Amino acid sequence: MPAERIIQLRQLLTERFPGSRAFTNGPAFSPDNLPSPPRTATGGCPDLEPGALTEIVSEKRGTGSALLLAALIQRAFQENRVTALVDGRDSFDPASAAVELSHLLWVRCHSAAEALKAADLLLRDRNVALILLDLATNPAVELRKIQPTTWYRFQRLLEHTSAACAVVTPFALVSSARSRLILPARFSLEALDRNREVLLAEIQVTVSETRHSARNREPRQKTA
Amino acid sequence: MFAVILIPDFCLQAVLRLEPGLEGQAVALVDSELPKPVVIEVTSAARAQGVSEGLTASQAMARCPHLVSRARSAAREHLASEVLLQCAYAFSPQLEATRPGVCTLSLKGLPLGPETAAMEQWAAKIIEALASLHLEARVGIAITPALALLAAQSDPPGAHLNFCENSAGQSGNLNIEGNHSRQAPHPALSPSDGERVAEGRVRGSQKLSYARQPVRIVRDPAEFIAEMPLTALEPPPEILEILRRWGIRTAGALLALGKERLTERIGPAALELFKRVSPRAIRPLKPAVPPQKYAEEMEFENEIETVEPLWFVLRRFVEQLSRRLELSHQVVAAFHLRLNLASGSAYEHAFHIPAPTGNVDVLFRILQTHLETVRTDSPIVSLRLMATPSRAATHQFGLFETSLRDPNQFAETLGRLTALCGADRVGTPEVLATHRPDAFRLKTPEFGATRKDNPSLFANAASAQGLLLRRLRPAVSARIEFRRQRPVSLRSSIFSGTIAGARGPFLSSGDWWEQNRWSREEWDVQTVDGALYRIFLGADGGGFVEGVYD
Repeated sequence: MPAERIIQLRQLLTERFPGSRAFTNGPAFSPDNLPSPPRTATGGCPDLEPGALTEIVSEKRGTGSALLLAALIQRAFQENRVTALVDGRDSFDPASAAVELSHLLWVRCHSAAEALKAADLLLRDRNVALILLDLATNPAVELRKIQPTTWYRFQRLLEHTSAACAVVTPFALVSSARSRLILPARFSLEALDRNREVLLAEIQVTVSETRHSARNREPRQKTA
Repeated sequence: MFAVILIPDFCLQAVLRLEPGLEGQAVALVDSELPKPVVIEVTSAARAQGVSEGLTASQAMARCPHLVSRARSAAREHLASEVLLQCAYAFSPQLEATRPGVCTLSLKGLPLGPETAAMEQWAAKIIEALASLHLEARVGIAITPALALLAAQSDPPGAHLNFCENSAGQSGNLNIEGNHSRQAPHPALSPSDGERVAEGRVRGSQKLSYARQPVRIVRDPAEFIAEMPLTALEPPPEILEILRRWGIRTAGALLALGKERLTERIGPAALELFKRVSPRAIRPLKPAVPPQKYAEEMEFENEIETVEPLWFVLRRFVEQLSRRLELSHQVVAAFHLRLNLASGSAYEHAFHIPAPTGNVDVLFRILQTHLETVRTDSPIVSLRLMATPSRAATHQFGLFETSLRDPNQFAETLGRLTALCGADRVGTPEVLATHRPDAFRLKTPEFGATRKDNPSLFANAASAQGLLLRRLRPAVSARIEFRRQRPVSLRSSIFSGTIAGARGPFLSSGDWWEQNRWSREEWDVQTVDGALYRIFLGADGGGFVEGVYD
C-alpha cells in the first residue's frame, strides 16, 4: 500500500476515532513535541485532569503532600464526587484531616502491591470519580518492584472516563502520568500553628509535563 | 372453563430441577420410606435401558449399570409445589393446589375469550414459564376441573413416551404399596374434532420428554369422554370389576348410565366416578394463595469441601429465585445464605443488594465475591438460599447528587477490596467523639448523602491548622533524650539524630474510669534533616514516634 494511502487511512481513523492510539507509533522527533519546561506554581488545590494519571512527587517528608490530599478530598466532597483513598501504608489520619469524609472510601493497605491491586479494582469499578493512591510512605524497595506496565494499564483504564487519579510517590515513578507535580519545599515547625488554607496556598508545586503528556498533546496528523 | 397444570413424574422432576448435571441421564427415583424401597419414577433414558417402576434399586442397577439413583425428597417436593403455585398465580388469581404436581386454575375473568388460539397461547406461556423453572408441565383446559385434569393427563397415541410401556394390563395406572400413585395418560385417547391438541412452545431442557403436545383443550366434553377407558378414571378395583362385568368399558358408557341408576346400584363411590366425567359437575375450587417465601434448598449427596462445586448449584438457585420473582414482577432486594456444615454448625450471611435487581449475573457475582473468601471449619452438607423480594426501583440520577452509577457493581468491588485487605480495612472513616488518639471506625459506605454548603476548603476551617499527620501504625518505639525537659535527640528505626526544634509538651489523658486508661505527653519536633515528627511518652515513660507531619 502506498505511503500516502497509509497516511490518509491514519488521518481518517484519527478523525473518526480521536481517542484511539493503537495505530500510531509515537510522535516523530520535532521541536514542537518536546516536553514543556517545568513551571512553578504556588497555592491552592491542584486541578486533576480527568481521564489521566497525575503524579504528586513528595521527595521529602513535610512537603505538604498529605495536606494536598486532604484538600483534594474536601474539594471532591464539595463537587459531589465519590472519592477513594488507597492508602499504601495505612498512614491516613482521619482526625487530623479535618475534612468531610462521608463521600470517602478509605482502603487501608499493608503494602504497595496490595495498594496497586486495590487501585486496579477501583479503576475498573467506574463508580469512583476521584482515586487517590498514596504511596508516599511506602519503602522504595516496594515501589521499585512496580512494573511500568502497571501504570500504563491504569492509564488505559482511566481513558474515556471522567475519573481522575492522583498518585503520591516519594520519587518520580509513574511513567504514564499526564502531569507530574513536584513538591520541593518543606515546612518548618511554625507551620503547625498556621491556618491550613494559608499553608495550602504556600505549597510550591513544580508542574512538569511527562513524555507521555507531550505525546498525547501532539495532534495525530503530525505523527502520520 | 378451568385449566389444570400437571407436572408429570412430579417427585422426580422436583429432584432433577436442582441438578442440571443429570440432564439426559438415566435416573431412577427411589422411595426409601416405603417398607420395601423401590423405584417409583424414572427418566426416559432409564426407561430405554429397561428400568421401570417397582424394581428395587439393585434390580434397576442390574438392568442399567450407569443408572443414577436419587432418593425421594419431601423438602424438594415442597419447594417444587411452591414454585408451581407461584408460577400459576402469575396466570390466574383463582387457583387450587389440587395435589402435589397438580394445580387447577379458573379461567373466569381472564381476558382470553372463547377462541381456542388465545387459550393455546395462554397455556403455552404457562408451560414456558415452568420450563424456565426447570419443570416440564402439561396443561388441560375443559369445562370442569375434573375434565381439565383428564385432558392434562391424556395424550394422543405416540405422543407419550414414558407412561405405558411397563404397565401392561394396568393401563398406565400404577400403585405402589398404596403410598404412591402416578397420573397416567390414556393411550386410547386421540384428538378428534371435539378437542384440540396444541403444540406448546417449551423452553428449556426436554429431559423427561413429556411435552410433545403439552396443551389439550377440550371443546366437546361428550366426544372427549366417549372413548375414554374407565381405567383413566382410576376407579377402585372392585367397582372396575363390576363395571367390566356389566360391559362398561368407557367413561362415555358410564356417563350414559345416568347418575341415579349408577348410585342406586353401586353406591356413593360410583357417584364420585360419575362426577369426574360429567360436564355438569363443576366443583368449587379450594382457593390457595402462593407462599410469599422465595427459597431454594439442597442437601448434597456428598459433602462439599471446596467452594467451586457450589457455583453450579448457587447459580441455578439464583436463576430460579430471580425467575420466580420476575413472574410476580419483583426483584431481589436481599439474599440470606445458609451453609449447613458436617460439624453440625452453620455458616450464615445476609447479602443486601444495593440496587434491587433481577439480573442473574449481578446477583451471582455478589454471592461469588463473598464466598471466595469464606473458610469453614468442616465440609458443607446442605445449602439454603432465601431471597427477599422487592419492587424494582427506578432511579433518576440528578445533577447534584453523589449517588453511584452502578451500586451493585460498587458493592461487588467493595467485596473484592474487603477480600483483598480485610473487613476492618475498607470503609468510610468516622472520627469518634473522644480525645483518645487515632480513634475512628470504618462504616459501610453510603454515598447518597446530600452536599453541605461549605465555602471553606476544609470542613472545619477554624480548627484546621497545621500539616496533616501521617500516622505510623503501630507507633514506632523510640529512645528520646531530654535536656532541660525538652527533647534533644531521637533514636528510632525511622530517624536517629538531633532534634532541631520542639514544641510541647501537650498532655492528654482519658478513660481513667476504664481498664484501658491512657495518658501521654506529646511533642512536635523537627529533626536536623527538616522532617516534622510527632513523638510522645506513654504512661509507662516509653518513647514513641507517632507519625510524620506532611
